[in-house]
Amino acid sequence: MSAVLRTLWGRSNERMIVEYHDDLRLFPTRARRAWLVFLVLAWIFLPAVWDRAPFTILSDNGVSLNTLAYAGVFAIASIGLNLLTGYTGQVSLGHSVFLAVGAYFTAYAGSTWDMPMWQWLILAPAVGWVVGALVGPFALRLRGNYLVVVTLGLVFIGEHIFRNWKSVTGGSTGTSAAAVPMELGPFDVRSLEIFGRQFDEDRAFFWLIWLVVGIVAWLVKNVVRSRAGRALQAVRDRDMAAEIIGIDVGILGYKTQAFAWSAAIAALAGALYAPLQLFIGPGDFGLLVSILFIAMIILGGMGTIYGSVIGALIITAMPRLIEGYSDSGIPIVGRLWGGGLPGVAAKTSDDGLITVSSLNVVIYGLLIALFLLVEPRGLAGIWVRIRNYFSTWPFSY
Amino acid sequence: VTQFLQAGFDGLALGSQYALIVLGFVVVYRATGIINFAQGGALILGAYMTYNVSNTWGWNFYLAVFISAVVVATFSVLLQRVMIQRIFRETTGVLLGLLVWASFVYNGSSHLVGVLIGVVGGVGAWWVAARVEARIGARGPSELPVFGAIMVTIGVLFVVKQVVAAIWGFGELSVDDPWEISTSRVGDVILGHAKIATIVLAMIGLALFFVIDRYTRIGIAMRATHFDHEAAIAQGISTKLVFATAFGLAGVVAALAGTSAAAGSDLINPNMDLIVFLAFPAMILGGFDSPGGAVVGGVTVGLFQNLVKTYVVNPPSWFPVEDMDWLGAGFERVAIFVMMVVVLMVRPYGFFGTEEVRRV
Repeated sequence: MSAVLRTLWGRSNERMIVEYHDDLRLFPTRARRAWLVFLVLAWIFLPAVWDRAPFTILSDNGVSLNTLAYAGVFAIASIGLNLLTGYTGQVSLGHSVFLAVGAYFTAYAGSTWDMPMWQWLILAPAVGWVVGALVGPFALRLRGNYLVVVTLGLVFIGEHIFRNWKSVTGGSTGTSAAAVPMELGPFDVRSLEIFGRQFDEDRAFFWLIWLVVGIVAWLVKNVVRSRAGRALQAVRDRDMAAEIIGIDVGILGYKTQAFAWSAAIAALAGALYAPLQLFIGPGDFGLLVSILFIAMIILGGMGTIYGSVIGALIITAMPRLIEGYSDSGIPIVGRLWGGGLPGVAAKTSDDGLITVSSLNVVIYGLLIALFLLVEPRGLAGIWVRIRNYFSTWPFSY
Repeated sequence: VTQFLQAGFDGLALGSQYALIVLGFVVVYRATGIINFAQGGALILGAYMTYNVSNTWGWNFYLAVFISAVVVATFSVLLQRVMIQRIFRETTGVLLGLLVWASFVYNGSSHLVGVLIGVVGGVGAWWVAARVEARIGARGPSELPVFGAIMVTIGVLFVVKQVVAAIWGFGELSVDDPWEISTSRVGDVILGHAKIATIVLAMIGLALFFVIDRYTRIGIAMRATHFDHEAAIAQGISTKLVFATAFGLAGVVAALAGTSAAAGSDLINPNMDLIVFLAFPAMILGGFDSPGGAVVGGVTVGLFQNLVKTYVVNPPSWFPVEDMDWLGAGFERVAIFVMMVVVLMVRPYGFFGTEEVRRV
């Protein structure tokens, strides 16, 4: 017990790093450890209080626990994309395909072969890894714009396969993932029971998915601050120089590996996406989804892990909020024009300049453009600047 | 043989369309080094402007094409100035103009009134912003990195698609063009007049571009800028003007491509930018920075796509596999992407593109 306490309440000031061991810690300061504890507590208790007072602002307007679970799935995928784009500098418009590979694998293996959960949780990323490793070598020969176009082609090829490999994917109509086994050890996600208490599916999915988010974030964070991560960042900054100082960018080298692992993480997200969504079809994995992932990492901040999570939360919650508020009206300010969002039709039958779904797409586009123009390092960049301002206050640096 | 000729003719028409689209990409890429995904938005806008002028207003079709080309070129230049070069005063002007337009339309005025007042408001905002900028000292235009610029243009593409849908609706519309569905026959081959017009239109567009590129001052300046950015500035070439011209030309080409995609029996809808994505293999084949490659690549891909389409349904007798239904409907669209990947593996810079010299 005292060891745990000492770990949590150890050194107070981050500037006093005396041992190498201090430098290696993931949560070096008291404030960060407090933040970690806060996150764990939030993970445990948020489902219990989500429909109570301060959270009703969100939960009454469309951001349910279910939405948070979706945000978690996208957070996993965008951490994967950040590993590839933010840390290795390889742009991929094809990540929706890797998501789809994981999702279709889970739906097929779970329904047809009755594969238990712990197996598909391992095998879906493995399949994604293989697909990513097949695509990866293209990045060796192509750079910049050409790579963008090839990964774009991947989306079209993938969609064609999903529409036509009917025995596995169910064709254009899609396939059901309702029968996928969801028992992990003593816990059944579909009807969770802990200490004799029943919890509904939304809560179980929230706990499961955000647990996976935590594990993936922890793993990727440790990868990017190790030798492999430094190699990836060297490739990003100047791949030729990286090659010259001895970083392997050959056919089994870091570029291919980054593609493979990034695809594996996206496939893991897909594996969780299928049972959460219950029914998946080719429409769920179009170009727009890939663009959304890019929007998430741009908004959150490229080259940061927590940025991907924040970006995923915002990009997933925003459309639900817009939908919710265009129905119920913005509090206080909305009275000025009498409820709803001005010019937005909540349903297709309503009057208005633009429908909610169109407005969402417009906002995604504007967000991408705006952040790249004004703050290319995303919300994480803004946060770093605020932190630096206060930590050096009253001096400017 | 008839089947082959028919597929060849249709492929040629499709290929000229691709060539026009790719030309738009190439022009921008040569000047600025970015792939302008917003070209898809420009194409949609061009098609709908032609529709609006020729159908809704009932003006002459050729006049409609001309107006649409002017409008889309303006849009394209504004996009470059505001988004890519980030000029503060123009951003302010455009945003305010859009806001005024939207609020007027929302209050029930017609689009024309909204646009007129929006333009006035935008110009006013531009003037004020220019004064402010002069007072506080202008921040020079800083350009985005390539990846950022690409993502910005993708963002713009999505916005334009939705705005077009908000104005003209999601439904399919038919443009009143002079060809409609009339056809001629040569032997057993059916030649759609709209397709012939597309080929001619593409030829005119391409010829015009080559004349500008080879013989005018601005064309030479564009090539010089592509060759060496800084040397061009040192020679007194205004890169601002070059970039604006490149985007403007791309806009004109996009309007022509949009019109040709709307002509004949084809209908227009806000999702017609798909054809822009299908033109990517053509661009890869020719190389990003070669206008000649755009033509060769476009026609090759168009022919290939139509031949695949024909022979997958009806394979020739010598072909070992008889039934190719398992490839699925619309396989020809995937086939061109597969071809693109193969070409990229053999020649990473296309057949006519300049190989990039990498230095440490």
